[in-house]
Amino acid sequence: MSTEKLLSRVMEAEPVGSRSKVTVVGVGMVGMASAVSVLLKDLCDELALVDVMEDKLRGEAMDLQHGALFLKTPRIVADKDYSVTANSKVVVVTAGARQQEGESRLNLVQRNVNIFKFIIPNIVKYSPHCILLVVSNPVDILTYVAWKLSGFPRHRVIGSGTNLDSARFRHLMGEKFQLHPSSCHGWIIGEHGDSSVAVWSGVNVAGVSLQKLNPKMGAEDDGERWKDVHKKVVDGAYEVIRLKGYTSWAIGMSVADLVESLLKNLHRVHPVSTLVQGLHGVKDEVFLSVPCILGSGGLTDVVHMTLKPEEEEQLRKSAETLWGVQKELIL
Amino acid sequence: MLITWWYFYLAARSFADQTLKMASILQKLITPLFSGPPEPPRNKVTVVGVGQVGMACAVSILLKELADELALVDVVEDKLKGEMMDLQHGSLFLKTPKIVASKDYSVTANSRIVVVTAGVRQQEGESRLNLVQRNVNIFKHIVPQIVRYSPDCTIIVVSNPVDVLTYVTWKLSGLPKHRVIGSGTNLDSARFRFLMADKLGIHASSFNGWILGEHGDTSVPVWSGTNVAGVNLQTLNPEIGTDCDKENWQETHKMVVNSAYEVIRLKGYTNWAIGLSVADLIESLMKNLNRIHPVSTMVKGMYGISEEVYLSLPCVLNGGGVASVINMTLTDDEVAQLQASANTLWDIQKDLQDI
Repeated sequence: MSTEKLLSRVMEAEPVGSRSKVTVVGVGMVGMASAVSVLLKDLCDELALVDVMEDKLRGEAMDLQHGALFLKTPRIVADKDYSVTANSKVVVVTAGARQQEGESRLNLVQRNVNIFKFIIPNIVKYSPHCILLVVSNPVDILTYVAWKLSGFPRHRVIGSGTNLDSARFRHLMGEKFQLHPSSCHGWIIGEHGDSSVAVWSGVNVAGVSLQKLNPKMGAEDDGERWKDVHKKVVDGAYEVIRLKGYTSWAIGMSVADLVESLLKNLHRVHPVSTLVQGLHGVKDEVFLSVPCILGSGGLTDVVHMTLKPEEEEQLRKSAETLWGVQKELIL
Repeated sequence: MLITWWYFYLAARSFADQTLKMASILQKLITPLFSGPPEPPRNKVTVVGVGQVGMACAVSILLKELADELALVDVVEDKLKGEMMDLQHGSLFLKTPKIVASKDYSVTANSRIVVVTAGVRQQEGESRLNLVQRNVNIFKHIVPQIVRYSPDCTIIVVSNPVDVLTYVTWKLSGLPKHRVIGSGTNLDSARFRFLMADKLGIHASSFNGWILGEHGDTSVPVWSGTNVAGVNLQTLNPEIGTDCDKENWQETHKMVVNSAYEVIRLKGYTNWAIGLSVADLIESLMKNLNRIHPVSTMVKGMYGISEEVYLSLPCVLNGGGVASVINMTLTDDEVAQLQASANTLWDIQKDLQDI
């Protein structure tokens, strides 16, 4: 065998398995966009893909492996069987039905709960210490479902939440001011969906509060029509779905951004979906997005925003809507 | 009548108020130091075609931070706008400040590099050569427009059959041959290096091997060049790549040729690997690296080829395009295979209408 002539073994034992493994459950458009973003950012040393459609799964894995020359992720594996996901640090769940044109995210609930009843226990079985990052919609409810089904402590179950909404908002803000989005600061919290909350008091450039410059910001009689900017964020997904059938790239990149904080223990603050019972007057066990600190332990802290009474009221209303749906679920 | 004029006055005044208010917020926040026309892009890349391959190229380019402006062109307007918006929504996570898209090629002006992925793709089991005439017709529309708006660009052709279409692009564009490149066997070589390296338990970048010639069924694996750390595999196993090779290394080349068909059978198309390989080429061109890649270039006069065909050979790529071609030491058999590819391609090219 040429290999015997070519290589002489030095190390006796086989090396330990990977140290920063990421699994992506679901190889649809969102799953693959997340996978590619994670690979191109060199975030993990092993990537596992899982799905139920075996041909599609194998084809996607092969296509990624064929790019191995250009990547620094030496192991890319895929299987219908969850044993392939063993010992993952982060598991990204994108599986489930997606919104059709004009359909609201809440409509997808029961179908996706049933899918999660199969997926979540399998993930937990093989990666009992992982961090679950839920992306499937309606993300706030499904993060609650994943938390209940997994039995994980709440700091290891995170919903991608309004991370993307905030990114869209900052992009639009950047366009208005001809600045890069990373220099435009604004937080969208609450439900990832139609009733998300734009916290106007926090919107700033270089620490300069825009609401101080424009006290009417976000109101009906605001000359600058900031409320329309928020509306564009809410409508953003529907618009892209109408034009190309689905959204993938932005959510994929935002997932990689979260995975980066988790794997590199960055302690960055991201608006993600977490258990908000006891915060801002919310009484029920619901998950909503608030600014959270993400590190290798997971979601370690929550940042207390100083919200106006109307903003807290909006959050409580979202919580009630979500609880109304959650209490009907058969888990 | 007077009332209409009054309402008109009120509307105009409200509009003026709003504009003034907006202007004064911006003035309060930002003081411009230098007012001039917006800076033109220095590293603009255009991707023609927003199908799976085009978007995989676009995302790889964005995530590798290769361009300061990305333009997308296609004929399907909704899909084009949707893809552009989806990428723009990710701009917080990127370092490419301008992403534009239009059916109109003026949006591509001043590109340094234009990637052409437009055209029809292979159906399951279909050979790349079957796609020719349909794609030539599409190129007759695309190529002159590219050149009109970016006369100094380098064009990378990805659409299949890539070798024929690179020739077509060269003819239609009137560009010098060093600025028209076909993605060629860059991907085949990447697949080959992955598969061979995997057998040996090493990373693809540590396995050196070249697949040249046609990007397709008759590509040529240069076994005499395969090596790890300079140790030549053919010296270790003189039968390598032949039919009497006990280790059956030629199976690996067969797998490379079949890769695309296999992935298409499983998921309907291929995109990630080709997207990554195109971004790799662009990196060499943009950053003036003088790295060597197996890409499709005009080979008339080499290896006894007397026709104007494009085949993949190891090319040095830098800011100007294809700077030079490496003269491989090929066996007589390998030269014969290249000549056979050249003949197959010329057979198709000579029948093409009006290019």
